[in-house]
Amino acid sequence: MLRYTVRRLLQAIPVLLGIVTITFLLTDAIPGDPVSIMLGPSPNAEQAAAIRAKYGLDRPLYVRYLNYVADVVQGDLGHSLYYGVPVTQKIAERMPVTLLLLVSSFTFAILTAVPLGVISAKRRNQPTDHVSRVVALIGVSTPSFWIGLLLIIVFSFHLNLLPATNLIMPWADPVNVDGAGSRLDVLVMAGEHLLMPTITLGTLQMAAITRIERSAMLEVLSEEYVKLARAYGVPEGTILRKHAFRNAQLPVITVVGLQLTAALGGAVLTETVFSINGMGRLIITAINNQDYELVMGTTLFFGLTFVIGVILTDLSYAYIDPRVTYGERE
Amino acid sequence: MNGTDPLLEVRDLKTQFFTAEGTVRAVDGISFTVEEGEIVGIVGESGAGKSVAASSILRLIENPGEIVGGEVRYRGETLVGFEQRDGELRERDDMLSNEAVRKRIRGREIAIIFQDPMESLNPVFTVGGQLREFIEINRDLPESEAREEAVDMLREVGIPEPVKRFDDYPHQFSGGMRQRVLIAMALACEPSLIIADEPTTALDVTVEGQILDLVEDLQQKYGTSFIWVTHDMGVVAEICDRVNVMYLGEIVEQASVDDLFHETKHPYTAALLDSMPRPDETVEELNPIEGVMPEAINPPSGCRFHPRCPDAREVCVNVHPENRAVAEGEIHPHRAACLQHEEVFRAGYWGSQPLDDAERAQRHRELTADGGGADE
Ligand SMILES: Nc1ncnc2c1ncn2[C@@H]1O[C@H](COP(=O)(O)OP(=O)(O)OP(=O)(O)O)[C@@H](O)[C@H]1O
Ligand code: SF4
Ligand SMILES: [Mg+2]
Repeated sequence: MLRYTVRRLLQAIPVLLGIVTITFLLTDAIPGDPVSIMLGPSPNAEQAAAIRAKYGLDRPLYVRYLNYVADVVQGDLGHSLYYGVPVTQKIAERMPVTLLLLVSSFTFAILTAVPLGVISAKRRNQPTDHVSRVVALIGVSTPSFWIGLLLIIVFSFHLNLLPATNLIMPWADPVNVDGAGSRLDVLVMAGEHLLMPTITLGTLQMAAITRIERSAMLEVLSEEYVKLARAYGVPEGTILRKHAFRNAQLPVITVVGLQLTAALGGAVLTETVFSINGMGRLIITAINNQDYELVMGTTLFFGLTFVIGVILTDLSYAYIDPRVTYGERE
Repeated sequence: MNGTDPLLEVRDLKTQFFTAEGTVRAVDGISFTVEEGEIVGIVGESGAGKSVAASSILRLIENPGEIVGGEVRYRGETLVGFEQRDGELRERDDMLSNEAVRKRIRGREIAIIFQDPMESLNPVFTVGGQLREFIEINRDLPESEAREEAVDMLREVGIPEPVKRFDDYPHQFSGGMRQRVLIAMALACEPSLIIADEPTTALDVTVEGQILDLVEDLQQKYGTSFIWVTHDMGVVAEICDRVNVMYLGEIVEQASVDDLFHETKHPYTAALLDSMPRPDETVEELNPIEGVMPEAINPPSGCRFHPRCPDAREVCVNVHPENRAVAEGEIHPHRAACLQHEEVFRAGYWGSQPLDDAERAQRHRELTADGGGADE
């Protein structure tokens, strides 16, 4: 298992290098020139040349590429032209917000979807199953921004129960949070702010996971080894929780992994709807302002998140299914 | 009868599968008994309903299948019991609840060895762990003792280095080794009856011999009874006391092994015996049974074997023979379902026209062609 983990991590290096390369080439291919943004539509040729020289834009593509890779390896993602600070600083500022949103919506999705799917499979074709399937179907077919807007209209405008914008980090210092006197206040406020974005982003995941959980459980429950367990008097509850559950999580993990990618896109929308200053809004600002080093930096971050998602998927797979790590043991 | 009740008594058991293509009458009214300490064989071609019969006894039939009639009694308890009441088929009041079957019967009293060793073990748990769990449940042993029992049993069924292999996963075992693990599971629970569904099919001949010896040892040591499902008449001859021959969901002959081999009363049994490889025959001299068994969705009219039976006559197309006593036996009568036994069936077999080969071949084609032969 340890060796498998190390091998999987090493395999990620070329993938990351590929992401860096593609990001670099794509950004280079984007029409428009940072110089024209800084100097306006008809720049003075000398000033333009000076700026080009300053940012190394006058050098050939491969030199710039090698420089960029060397910088990235050292943890330097360049400088944001728009914000006037290092890209890494901007990412460090925004990343926790998006991660909080992702973690909380996946927690919400998994904690609701897994029991729902299992119960659905257990009560196949009974009323509980029908209800959960309809809910899941509505969940996968409703756009997340629409859910977000609806929640805002109902709970913020009409009922005035929950805040419609912004997030508060649960670990923020009470001194810096408006209207918070103590740690507890901060936690409560963080929860209130997080609730609607979590549901907005998490509903799709929840619905997708419920569906796969149900069908995976149904499939495993018809396996021969489940029949064997029944033939030896294993109680139905133990069969569900132990003999069937673990096997059924393999396809579920794959879907959770794939949903992570989808959730990155969903985070951009959710952050926009709730005016949350996370990575999603950052990348949009960067693109709108042709802040090309920030675009590259944020894209790299999304790429990295994706790779981490894939590795976590593989590792959980190997943890559950002994056949995965088998190849290296013999 | 010898005065005492049989260990297991199956009467007129019927199990059907309700599929999109139609109702599969997989087990269609079979009756047999197993006495204490006896090894009873069930033989028949693939699809005869042997596995479905085995699962029905423990009420392990799942959707879309259902036991639709008959009775299974084990040591005075009703595992399956249906009765006709107000024109409806109902479960009898004395039929054990699901919970009672699970707790008191499955594994503890009757254990089953499934046919498919590759699919019957859970891939994500260790082999030893699975064996240990079944021992814990069915012998009320604490975990550590159950573990010791499991290791002993693995050794007993011939798994080398059982202590080391205990923590291996099923995919690290060959088919034959997995089959032994399944056998160990049944033996380790110390039931009174083991239903073995072709447990040696995946094994080579030497290993098969070892397992059969082991079973005979255990049977003598503990007096365990067996239902031995197989399509191999050689295995039947080696270990069984009595045999049931199944064809298309029905038992067509039932006798002691000696009587079945030497006083064969049914043409299908005769064909099975004839198709058995013998040491004095070369492969070319083998006589496989002609044709394949039709589907159990639309079984042939009359005697279900008539499209393939070399002795079939006109009457066989119309009259369905039940499995009746046709001769004396040691303890149980010799039963057969064939109209040739005129003195029992009185259907006028000997006065009836023999079916000519062309006609029979045609009927057989119709029955076995895809889509029921409507396209011919
Ligand atoms: N789950 C199921 N759904 C539909 N039909 C089934 C199902 N299980 C068994 N059958 C049908 O029941 C009949 C009897 O099957 P069974 O498995 O008992 O045969 P068998 O005698 O054990 O054959 P084999 O020697 O191949 O194991 C077959 O026609 C089969 O197609
Ligand atoms: S009843 Fe007729 S068809 Fe059936 S086995 Fe006997 S002779 Fe053959
Ligand atoms: Mg079978």
